[in-house]
Amino acid sequence: MTSADDDTLVLPVVPPAALEEAPAEPEWRPAAHDEDDFHPGPVGRVARRVCWVLLAWSVVLVPANLLSPLSLDQTTVTHLTEAVIFAIIGLSLNVLIGYAGQISLGHQAFVGIGAFTTAYLVTEQQLDFFFALLVAAVFGGLQAAILGAVSLRVTGLYFALVTLAYGAFAEQTVFGIESLTRGEAGMTLTRPSFFASEERYYLLCLGFLVLVVWLDWRLTRSTAGRALAALRENPRVASSYGINVKAYMMVAFVVAGVFAGLGGGLFAARQSVIVPTSFGFTLGLTFVLMTVVGGLRNRTGVIIGAAFFALLGSGELVHWLHLDGFFAETIGLPVQFVPLVVGPILLLLTITLHPGGIGQQVAPIQGWLAGRRLDRHAGKVREVEVSDVRA
Amino acid sequence: MSVLEVDDVSIHFGGIKALQNISLRAGEWEIVGIIGPNGAGKTTLFNCITGFYTPSAGRVRYRGKDITRLPVHRRTALGLGRTFQNVGLVKNATVLDNLLTAQHLQVGYEPVTGILGSPATFAEEKRLRDRAHQILELLQLEYVARERVTDLPYGVLKRVELAAVLATDPDLLLLDEPGSGLGPEEAEGLGDTLLTLRKEFGLTIVMIDHHVPLVTRVSDYVYCLNFGEVLAEGRPDAVRSHPEVVLAYLGDDTESEVPV
Amino acid sequence: MSTLGQELITAAVIGVLQGSIYAMVALGIVLVYRATGVFNFAQAEFGTTALFGAYTAHVVWGWGYAVSFGFGLVVGVVMGLLTEALVIHPLRKASRVTLLVGTAGVALTAIGLQFWKYNETLIMVMPRISDGFHQTKYGSPTDQQLITVAVLVAVTIALALFFRSPWGLAIQAAQQEPVAAELVGINVRSVSLLIWGIAALLGGLAGILAGPNTTFSAAFLSFGAGGALLPGFMAAVLAGMRSMSGAVAGGLVVGFVEQLGNLTLLVDVNGARAMMLFVFLLLVLLFKPSGLFVPRAVTA
Repeated sequence: MTSADDDTLVLPVVPPAALEEAPAEPEWRPAAHDEDDFHPGPVGRVARRVCWVLLAWSVVLVPANLLSPLSLDQTTVTHLTEAVIFAIIGLSLNVLIGYAGQISLGHQAFVGIGAFTTAYLVTEQQLDFFFALLVAAVFGGLQAAILGAVSLRVTGLYFALVTLAYGAFAEQTVFGIESLTRGEAGMTLTRPSFFASEERYYLLCLGFLVLVVWLDWRLTRSTAGRALAALRENPRVASSYGINVKAYMMVAFVVAGVFAGLGGGLFAARQSVIVPTSFGFTLGLTFVLMTVVGGLRNRTGVIIGAAFFALLGSGELVHWLHLDGFFAETIGLPVQFVPLVVGPILLLLTITLHPGGIGQQVAPIQGWLAGRRLDRHAGKVREVEVSDVRA
Repeated sequence: MSVLEVDDVSIHFGGIKALQNISLRAGEWEIVGIIGPNGAGKTTLFNCITGFYTPSAGRVRYRGKDITRLPVHRRTALGLGRTFQNVGLVKNATVLDNLLTAQHLQVGYEPVTGILGSPATFAEEKRLRDRAHQILELLQLEYVARERVTDLPYGVLKRVELAAVLATDPDLLLLDEPGSGLGPEEAEGLGDTLLTLRKEFGLTIVMIDHHVPLVTRVSDYVYCLNFGEVLAEGRPDAVRSHPEVVLAYLGDDTESEVPV
Repeated sequence: MSTLGQELITAAVIGVLQGSIYAMVALGIVLVYRATGVFNFAQAEFGTTALFGAYTAHVVWGWGYAVSFGFGLVVGVVMGLLTEALVIHPLRKASRVTLLVGTAGVALTAIGLQFWKYNETLIMVMPRISDGFHQTKYGSPTDQQLITVAVLVAVTIALALFFRSPWGLAIQAAQQEPVAAELVGINVRSVSLLIWGIAALLGGLAGILAGPNTTFSAAFLSFGAGGALLPGFMAAVLAGMRSMSGAVAGGLVVGFVEQLGNLTLLVDVNGARAMMLFVFLLLVLLFKPSGLFVPRAVTA
């Protein structure tokens, strides 16, 4: 190292004379970032605050039947809990597909491993639920790391194939080991007594979702997230920035696996019973659907997309919209199959017409809530020649 | 000791010999120019030096250390920084984010700590941002800090790329056509910038360029490549008027000097 | 030991018979990949859609077998053409991962439509072309399976002849140099439609021929997702995603590997066939990712 580069780089205070003449930039001007100077007026501030309070109330208190005029029945609360758990799983898949650019069609296996680990430790070994959740998260990370080690050799589309085979292998072979999973008989899991009520369990899952959102947010705002963004788009540039491409790919896998393992553990305690076929291929495809429709790399979008598909699948959404009759009788489609028919159509519409997904649709509102002007064009996704995966 | 030594490097792809017994040296604080017609193997040579290709034969040394088989990111850690012919930046990210990413090896916390979001990482992130802004100011790029790379014109991108490479804290800078797309006056400005950077950062620079006047002005030593071999080397003026160099550039020897 | 030997031969016989289905699926995958660079996750679903079409015509509407068979193929081909027109063409500039998600979406749409129409019918049976079977020492092949093998041979020969014809050569030119092909008057778009049509036809043949081997229902995806898609893809990987003859050989090998899961040796292992396929795929991708059955001319 030369004298100029010690720990804190000493830069000349005054730019050298040679640099003082800025090269001519005749046509191009940077776009005005006027939102920097925008501060909402008093009315705007109050309006935003009211919206925030309403939002928090409807997400935290209403489902838990606290300070709420609605008295939701237990089944509805369970379905809302499922929506929260799906959001955790969606964020997990978003790390893989969105950040690392690796498409996983076997994510149901990631979740299933977390679920069966938790169920086994709590039911068969009588261990503490939270300890079991921790182990499930670790196992989730571990199996993802092993699969990730494979993906370092086979990337992109071949990796999707590996995950497809892995999903079938996990469902039929691993989850079929009866001494661990009780096979088709299935496993039940008793929650800790404090969280036995559906309302409290909802709040617990919501707490874990907040934790996952925090970790995901810090991931994107720290060195690991930047490294992933660089290597997804252009591994050559990433490595010339000094990023160990393989190591950071593993980071993405482990993070995704930990989130999925955690989501699986929570999933197991929500279901009355889990069987190997709970984690079939269609579930994995639903995970991909909700993440892509929600909007890759868009936290809010993924959460809303996941919740949307969960509520669609449990029939809750159809029920709220009073469409039960329409689906069941007019077009002859039982409610549990609605996501399978509606979902793919939404997916195809999303990727062909609206690549930003739900995240793009809610971006204007999100920006407004964050104290900016209402900008209808906020969050528009302009995908540019992202260097393609090798295949 | 030379900063960079390339000894008898050859590489072939299938039956095509892209480089044959290339030797090159760059000393401390030197600026070395590489010229040659398209397809002469200049970028291939860079790829061998920076680790994107492994030579079929020969050695690459950095300050005496053999780095022939070192992965790209390890060479960056040693102090090699490079720019790309068609702009090597993360295109979907902002200029500032690119500079933050480029400081990857200077980040003072572990990736896991960053994901957990410990308070210290926030302070460190601020330090990285400040340093990025310093570098942008130095290259008079502060006004594009928040722009997305894809939205910027080519000429600006070339300078942004230079800023990003400087953020990796290099010791040896390898520039692949820094002057492409610049007019004669801008090329003049670029030459000044390079000379200043060498002085301020104590850099050794190896650059490929087609702007022969630019290369001649700033370089201490010039290599001319053709068909994967060193055609001529020496002081800039000597190489420029070397008959074979003139021939390689023009196809015949109707002029005595390499054109602009 | 001799039982193991006999079991292995049985696995080979049944594997080849079953593998001919996978070979047909793999041929479609390879064709599409060569032409458009798309990993088509809807390939097996062309088969189920065609099968549901044939089933509807034959069993529900009472049409003749041959007519129903043809109708099923038409349904499959229409689905292939729609896929090209509505998904592949609009996404031609998107990344390959997006395209993959797109074809997965097509597969799911097909599954969704099948659910919609048939979620009340628990078990469906597609009759065989002929009910005969041949009892041998090494398993008992049915006429249906033998017909499948014959169809595979015929299809392979037809494809080989087609790609050596002036038309076929023009298509290959269009795939390699789209711009140049446009210049000499080849319509790249219709070539793309043609390829997707042929691929869907292959998928449809595989689906309708394999349909009678098991009962099926809309709720249990015996053919599409788990059944034929994965082995078909593995066969295509063995072919390096490019070689047509490799796809056929790969299909037969994958059929054999899958049957190894039925050995008495593995009787205590649940899901042994899924395990064999997963392990085999990993081994292939780790040690020979360029494929096993790749003619020299293709690799160069």
